[in-house]
Amino acid sequence: MADIGRLIVNIKVPSHPKYLSLVRTVTVKVAEISGMPKSVREHVKLAVDEACANVIRHAYRGDPGKSIGLRYEVTEKGFEVVIDDEGRKAELEKIKGRDLGKVKPGGLGTHFIRRAFEIIKFDGRKRKGNRLRLIRQRKDGKWR
Amino acid sequence: MEINIREYEGGKVIAVSGEIDLYSSPLLRKQLMVFVKKKESPLLVDFGGVSYIDSSGIATFVEGLKGVMSFGGRMKMFGIRPAIMEIFSFSKLDKVFEIYGTIDDAADSR
Repeated sequence: MADIGRLIVNIKVPSHPKYLSLVRTVTVKVAEISGMPKSVREHVKLAVDEACANVIRHAYRGDPGKSIGLRYEVTEKGFEVVIDDEGRKAELEKIKGRDLGKVKPGGLGTHFIRRAFEIIKFDGRKRKGNRLRLIRQRKDGKWR
Repeated sequence: MEINIREYEGGKVIAVSGEIDLYSSPLLRKQLMVFVKKKESPLLVDFGGVSYIDSSGIATFVEGLKGVMSFGGRMKMFGIRPAIMEIFSFSKLDKVFEIYGTIDDAADSR
């Protein structure tokens, strides 16, 4: 990583699917600045896109008039994205990817998120809505 | 995302370009279902211009494939870029979709 110290980027986008391309663009740019290799950046881009799409579909049930907050933080320890919404609480027991051996529409997003991030957790302290924390770590300055 | 339809050796080619995501996939689904309803087969999908696909885009193609298979038809994809192919492979859908290098390979396959 270029010696940028700690980088924090905050954005807030409407919960309309047309803004997902903006989320992808910002995600890739922050990842690029962090020194992440292209293959990893692509995984991270897809994962953040999927997480925001889940907010639109499940937390907001398709309502395009809400908002999604994203906070990116790059440090020497890794790359963190915190995704905030004010929608319905995620039902954690229902969040599981489909069996990859089964061919059916849907259920892949969770796999893409797990592939890109080692740490995935909902912040239980948030009262209204959800706060999802995604972390990709690096060791000795290198991305895993 | 853009969708262009053309003919090739008597079959229909759907050429998709750009990014397929939650925003654009409903339009793609609509087009695929038009062909499913008309029982078009083989349906050739030109992936050459696709730069990005997410799970909603993949789900759309899975649904399209199931629709085509419901009447004994075939959907054949070609021109898939390595980055998109990597997503198909990870999803194990490279074993499910009929994937070819070129339109001729796709059209000639039996």
